[in-house]
Amino acid sequence: MLARAQSLAAGGLRGTLLLQIVRMALRLVFAGALAMFAGVMIEAGTISIQALVIGLAALFLAALIGLLAERQQAEAEFFVAQGLREGARETLAAMPARAVQALPAGALIAGLQRYPEALAALVVGHRTAALMLGIVPALVVCAIVAVSWQAALALLFATPIMIAFFILLGGTIHARAENQERAFGQLATQFDDRIRTLPTILSAHGVDHERRKLEARMAAYADSTMNMLKVAFLNAGVIDFFSSLSIAILAVFLGLGHLKLVDVPGFSGMQLWQSLFILMLAPEFFAPFRRYAELYHTKAEGNAAALAMDGFLAGPTTLEQVMPLAFDRFEGDLRLPPKGMVAIVGESGSGKSTLLRRLASVEVPAGVEFAQLVPVFAKGVDWISTDIPVPAGTLADALSLNQAERNPTKLLSAAQRVGLLHDTLLPGGLDARIKAGGENLSGGQRLRIGVARALISDRPIFADEPTAKLDLANAARVRAVLADCACERLVIVATHDPKLKVLATLVVDLDQREADQRDVAE
Amino acid sequence: MSPFILSVVESKEEARRGSIFWWRLAMLLALVALFSGVLLTGVSVWFLGAVALAGAGGAAYTFNFHIPAALIRLFAMARTAAKYGERLVGHKAALLDQVSRRSMLFSAMAAAPKVRGASWQLGDQDRLADFVDDVENLDFAKLRVGIPLLATAGGLAFVTAATLFVAPMALAVILPLLFGTATCARWLLPRLARGWQHVRLGKRAAGRRLGAGLGAVVPLQAERTWQKTLAASFTALSGADAQFLQLRCKMAAADTLVGLLGPIAGLVTLGCAWLMGQRGEALLPAAFVAFAWLALGEATQGASRILLARVKEDAASKALKAWTTGTPPEIATIHGLSSCVSSLEIVAMPRRAPDGRSLGGTVDLILEAGRPTVLSGPSGCGKTSLLKQVAGWLEADGDGKLTGDGIELANASRRQLVFLGLHDAAVLSDTVRENLFAPDATDAECRAALDIVELGERVRLAGGLEGWITQDTLSLGEAHRLNLARALLSPLPIILLDEPGEHLDTEQARRIVERLIAQLRDRILLISSHKASGAWKGAREFKLDGTPSEIRNRID
Repeated sequence: MLARAQSLAAGGLRGTLLLQIVRMALRLVFAGALAMFAGVMIEAGTISIQALVIGLAALFLAALIGLLAERQQAEAEFFVAQGLREGARETLAAMPARAVQALPAGALIAGLQRYPEALAALVVGHRTAALMLGIVPALVVCAIVAVSWQAALALLFATPIMIAFFILLGGTIHARAENQERAFGQLATQFDDRIRTLPTILSAHGVDHERRKLEARMAAYADSTMNMLKVAFLNAGVIDFFSSLSIAILAVFLGLGHLKLVDVPGFSGMQLWQSLFILMLAPEFFAPFRRYAELYHTKAEGNAAALAMDGFLAGPTTLEQVMPLAFDRFEGDLRLPPKGMVAIVGESGSGKSTLLRRLASVEVPAGVEFAQLVPVFAKGVDWISTDIPVPAGTLADALSLNQAERNPTKLLSAAQRVGLLHDTLLPGGLDARIKAGGENLSGGQRLRIGVARALISDRPIFADEPTAKLDLANAARVRAVLADCACERLVIVATHDPKLKVLATLVVDLDQREADQRDVAE
Repeated sequence: MSPFILSVVESKEEARRGSIFWWRLAMLLALVALFSGVLLTGVSVWFLGAVALAGAGGAAYTFNFHIPAALIRLFAMARTAAKYGERLVGHKAALLDQVSRRSMLFSAMAAAPKVRGASWQLGDQDRLADFVDDVENLDFAKLRVGIPLLATAGGLAFVTAATLFVAPMALAVILPLLFGTATCARWLLPRLARGWQHVRLGKRAAGRRLGAGLGAVVPLQAERTWQKTLAASFTALSGADAQFLQLRCKMAAADTLVGLLGPIAGLVTLGCAWLMGQRGEALLPAAFVAFAWLALGEATQGASRILLARVKEDAASKALKAWTTGTPPEIATIHGLSSCVSSLEIVAMPRRAPDGRSLGGTVDLILEAGRPTVLSGPSGCGKTSLLKQVAGWLEADGDGKLTGDGIELANASRRQLVFLGLHDAAVLSDTVRENLFAPDATDAECRAALDIVELGERVRLAGGLEGWITQDTLSLGEAHRLNLARALLSPLPIILLDEPGEHLDTEQARRIVERLIAQLRDRILLISSHKASGAWKGAREFKLDGTPSEIRNRID
């Protein structure tokens, strides 16, 4: 995932980097011009219009380029996140249903809402900062060399010392972070966990006890976090230290040079504007280090996001399905008629639903390409089960989901036939409100919505236990509808219901492991 | 007020007092850091200018450079130390607040009626993640908004005052500029807030949509609309992200404007001093202020982040207010009520669906200790709701009455007396022992209870009572049995169990339920089951059939 993100970022990264470099160069020009303007003004008592104009021009240009750079970075990150999401979508789209069902849905959604952005920030924002680490100090040193190569050398000498500090600190931070993870990792998400399990805590009368425990654990975790931060903040502290110190030391040396009290090569005999220039640029030398240190969090989050996304979307390799033996028998010799009702029956767990899915090409036996569909069903079938998708809106919306046209008469008669029009628990007829995710629907109501949808369309019907969870009257209605549909098209049901079984022209009994051909209808 | 409430209030106050000290210190350090930074630059420039003039004028030997040099070193050290201190102390204060705020939020949410409703929305990982994001945004708001704003305001006041002193004319330009920036920020803030709200809601809606699609993957694939559905939810996600991109562009523009402020103010100050006729030595104070403006500008880089943090804080606190308002911590109100009830009479309890709608009809039932009752009926006839009504979890008594040993019991009192074994009870990320919710039980009692629900061996293998378990380490059946062990260890007089045989095979369910019935002889025990319970020895059956035919369709 990280590699993919990096390749997606390549173009945007280059643009961002280029703009940032130009902006930096312009900032240096502005610093030089300002130093010149102020230095000449104080020392010579004249105004350098030239410096003023160049300075102002550089200032505004730098601001403009900076704006462009920021926008470019935001756009590059958006592009990367977009690409990563697109990749995730493709992976999901190609996954067999069983693999999708095995995914931790909540964690996956939370991840897809956050991880692509985190990863994009790592490969664009953080990477730019890392690259600037090598470029900006070099630029600054070059600019200072123009005034005093000795001062530039002094800055360069500070760098290895700072890097040594960095490495030293980095090791300590890492060790402490690992320590914290070992000792307190379990406590990191205790609050989240207690909120998740709140009803259970409430039902077992544990609120008071859990609150006290939670408080103690959160406090313990906060303490351990502080312990880590003490070291982690040193990182930025070291840079602040060097940057402040460089100003202080340079100012004193340059001052001594001006006073001609000591003769330090490179620091004496300079004009005021030159020393002001050095003084202004010195902090710029350290600024990229500081920025990089501040992005420590982005790096950690991005790497974690890459890892998590790899975990989610590793693909269905590990999901070898265990299927009942009966399957392979039927695979060869089960010939489905173009119309009529086929009933798949058998004990619970004998694989009725799995066979139904496999016939609809939702489930593919191991080793077979997913694209290899049964051609008859390539346009899709009408699926009836308790987990059919139901959009928020009205009952009419739910019934016409994924239907090409919306015919009010058809909707009305379909709803009427499955008893949804005068359902006391779903009042309002076709205008009955359905909440997001069909929250306010029972399993039985969902089944009947599925049956009504099948009535409206003309595709083959696949029904998984269509009469379970229904009361007698509605079960009878559904059986009648399915029997009617079977006169014109293929209806396959996986069922326990003996009354439905007798309506079938072909019964596949997974317990007997052979097809019981009863050509009653023909 | 009960002692429990008092202790909460006390600890809250204590925590607040504790954090206030740290907050003040953090503010102080932030100010010190900012001032040191501004002064470091200003004094350095003034010093350089002064020595240059002194050197040129031949006054080098009389120039006392020790004091300014020492000042410069002092400011450099103070800036470094104060910055480090500010970050550390600020985080310390934020973490202190975090502990007390989260603990209060936990209590408030535990008292909210929503927790007892039909389904717990924060049981979903994605909704929980959204919620935790909100809590986090609030936790660190002071650190991200309050402190930087205050420090910047302090620095601004100081430099403005200094400008008034050395080049008052410059303020004629600078003040309108500052005013313009402030107006700009005020203009931007509501737009950012609206944009952020769109992003937030858009992401969440897209997530729900994706969740619905993932849940219906089989029908969608069978109907060949899986691709389309996925594409729609991913487009929605990207749409939200695109809106955030727009926000970022707005923020970048704001940052650009703010970034120009320092340099322009500096140049204007210098220019005005020049125009006022200051030359040579007299210009040095102006140079000091001009470079102070520059340093202040550097320190306020990325100011839009403060605005965004403020916007996030607002959105989060609005979202969390829904949990904390109107739900004072529950106060125990059992007056003259013995904790040992041996009979419970239910009269004319109206039957309800999980969302509180009437299912029509009422229930009359007498429950007694030692006479375990199995509430049976088809899936969806309102068994779970009835259990929750008895437990006092639903505010839906209507004209119904419940009396325990002849005393009428209101909802709140029943909640104190009932252990409600939910069929979807969760596993806490904690030790097995803590998961049993029996702080007073001995180890032997805990082990006995686990043995009864056939988890003894499993727990021994997973590290015993002190072994750490999570939702993912236990299977559905194991989690379910763990909850039955909780019921066994509960000291409460009324035990309600919702579908104790769920996720277990028929034989194991029978074994365990019969043992439960035997163990809980001395309590009022009510069990719901959608299967015929004739097989369970020692319990009488109460059939709850769906009177109007539709009732059978309801899910529990």
